[in-house]
Amino acid sequence: MAARSAEALLGFGFIGIMATLYLGFQWAPSVSIDAFESPAAQRIFYWHVPAAWAAFIAFGVLFLGSLMWFFKRSPLGWRLHVAGAEAGLACGLITVWSGCVWGAAEWGTPWDWTDVRLNTFGLLTLLALFLVLGRQSQPDGIETRDTFSTFGLYGFVLVPLTYIATRIWEIRHPGPVIGSGDGSGSLSGDMAMVLLLGAISFTVFISGHILMSMRITGLEQRLEQVQHHIDGGK
Amino acid sequence: MAEPLLEIEGVEVRRGMGTVLSDFTLALHPGEIIVLHGLNGSGKSTVIETAARLLPLERGHVNHHGSLTIHADGRRMNPPHPFGLTLQSNGMIGSETVEHHLTMVAQLSGANIDLNSLLESYGLQHRMSDRMCHLSGGQARKVAVLAGLIPAMVATTPVITLLDEPDSGLDETAIKALKGHIQSLAGFGHGFVIATHNSELMQVATHLHDLKQKNTQKNTPSTGWQPLGTKAEHSFTRTRAGHRYSRSTRSGFARNGLAALLVLGCVLALGDPLQLPKGLWLTGGILAPAFAAGLSGDPTTHLLRENRAYDWWRAQGQTTPSAIGLGALIGLVSTMVSCSIFIGTLDPVLLFIGSFIGESTMLGVRMLHTSTQRLARPQAVFIRLLMPVFILPWALIVSWASGL
Repeated sequence: MAARSAEALLGFGFIGIMATLYLGFQWAPSVSIDAFESPAAQRIFYWHVPAAWAAFIAFGVLFLGSLMWFFKRSPLGWRLHVAGAEAGLACGLITVWSGCVWGAAEWGTPWDWTDVRLNTFGLLTLLALFLVLGRQSQPDGIETRDTFSTFGLYGFVLVPLTYIATRIWEIRHPGPVIGSGDGSGSLSGDMAMVLLLGAISFTVFISGHILMSMRITGLEQRLEQVQHHIDGGK
Repeated sequence: MAEPLLEIEGVEVRRGMGTVLSDFTLALHPGEIIVLHGLNGSGKSTVIETAARLLPLERGHVNHHGSLTIHADGRRMNPPHPFGLTLQSNGMIGSETVEHHLTMVAQLSGANIDLNSLLESYGLQHRMSDRMCHLSGGQARKVAVLAGLIPAMVATTPVITLLDEPDSGLDETAIKALKGHIQSLAGFGHGFVIATHNSELMQVATHLHDLKQKNTQKNTPSTGWQPLGTKAEHSFTRTRAGHRYSRSTRSGFARNGLAALLVLGCVLALGDPLQLPKGLWLTGGILAPAFAAGLSGDPTTHLLRENRAYDWWRAQGQTTPSAIGLGALIGLVSTMVSCSIFIGTLDPVLLFIGSFIGESTMLGVRMLHTSTQRLARPQAVFIRLLMPVFILPWALIVSWASGL
C-alpha cells in the first residue's frame, strides 16, 4: 500500500509538473515588456519558483531527520535525513539551473557571486550534493550518521538566511512575489493559478520521492541487519 | 582502596552499525596492570579507544582520575592529567624525527627528557635523528610504544597508560624491555590497560580481562620507578608541532604556495596586468592568489591523516596541531608578488587584506576538514563541495577593497 502511494504521488506529481511546464510556456499571460529585459524568459519562473518551494520543503525534512537522528538516534530520522538530502538535491539543481538560464537572459549573467540569495541557495544545493555523495563514500555507521546529521543541522541555518536575503540585501535576485507583506509584486489571477499548480505538483512529486527514498533506505538497513546477523554479530 | 585512575562505567559503544561493547564497566586502580585478551573482534581495541575518548558513547561515561572525560550525552572534556597512549596504528607522521616526536610527547606531559638511555634500552639510539619514514616497521612500533610510556615515565603522580597491541612487530629484546618498564612503572603506582595476545605480556598482568570477567592473578611486586626528566612548562606545543610538520614536509609551500602561484599564473595568462583599469577586476586579480592559498586549507590537517596521527592528538586534548599564521604569511607574500606585478608598488592596505584573506580562509577550510575527520574514510568525503561558502565573503571584501 505504502509502496503504491509513493509511486502514485510520483506519477501525479510528474504529470502536474509537465502540465505546469506546458501552461507556463503556452497559456500563461505574457509580462510587460517594460518590466523585464527578457519577457519570454520570465516563463521559466513557473518552474523556478515551485522547484525552490519544493527544495525548501525537502531541506525542512532533512533538518527534521537530522534532528531526530542526532538527538534520538531514530532510524526513521536517518531515513528522513537521506530522503530530504536526495529530494533537496533534485529540486535545488532544478532551481539553480532554471535560475541560471533566466539570469543569463534577464541580467546578462547566469550567476553573481555577490548576491546573497543566489549564494545561500547554491550552498544549500551543494550541501545536499555533499550529503548524498558523502553518504555513498562512507560505510554506514554511527560516526557517519552523526557527522552528516551535524552538517544537516548547521546547514539549515542557510534556509531562513536564504528566505530573508532578498528582503535585507537585494542585489540582483528580486524579492518575494507572494507574501511580501506590502502587496508589491502581486501576480495576476492566471499567473497565480499556474504558479499554484506548479507548487502543488512539485510538492506532490517530492512527497513521492521522499517516501520512495525512505523505503529504499529502510530496505538497505534491513539488508545490513541480515548480513550482520549472518556474520554472527550481536 | 585508592581512587581509580580510570573508570569506564556502563558504556555501550557501536562500531559501524554493530554494538561492540554493551553495559561494559572497568576500573583501573593505581599499580594495576589490566591485560585485555580474547578473540579478534571481541572489542579489546574498542575498550582502549573508549578509555582514550576517541569513540562516541551510546550509554555510560568514562572518568579519568575521578573527572568526567566523555559522556553519552556528548560532553567531552580534556583529561585532568596527561596519559600514555599507543594505538594499533603508530599515530606518528613519517616526516617527523624520533627525537622530535618523543621530546614533544614529554613536553605534552610538562617535562624535558634525556632520550639517550631510553632509546638505548630499545636499540634505537642510533636512529634518534632519523625520520619515522626511514625506520623499519618494528622500529617505528618501538617509538610508538615509547611515546605511550613516556607520560608515565616523567610523571610524579600515578597516571593512566593505554597500550593497544604494543608487542606487534617487536623483537624479543624489546618485549623484555617493555615488560621491565611496565612492571617498574606499575610499581610506582601507574595504571596500565593493555590489549594483547602476547603470553609474555600476560604474565606481568595483575588482572586478566576477557571483556566479560576480570580475574586477578598473582604477580611478583616490582621495585618502583624513578621519574625521568625535569619539569618544564611548554606553551603552544600543538602550534609548534603543526609548524614543524608543515616545515619538515614543505607542505605549506607545496599546497598553499603553489595554489597561489597557479592562480596568479592563470590571471596573468588572460592579458597584460598593467593595462587593467583600477577597480573590481584589478583588486580581484591582486587578492585572488591569497584566497587560493587559503582555500588549500591547513597543511597539517592533511599530514595528520597518516597513521591515525589525528586520533592520537585528539585523545591528548581538544585541540590538534595547526599551522596558525601560515595562511597570513602565504597570503601576505602572494599579495606582495601580485601587487608588484599588477600595480608596481606594495599597497599596505592590500597587503593587510591579502594576509587576512589567507588566514581566515585557511581557518575556515580547516574547520570544514576537521568536522569530517571522525569519518571512517575522511579523505573520500566530498568536503570541497562546500568550499564555495568562502566565495561570497571574498567577493564582498574585494568589492569593498576596490572602492578604497
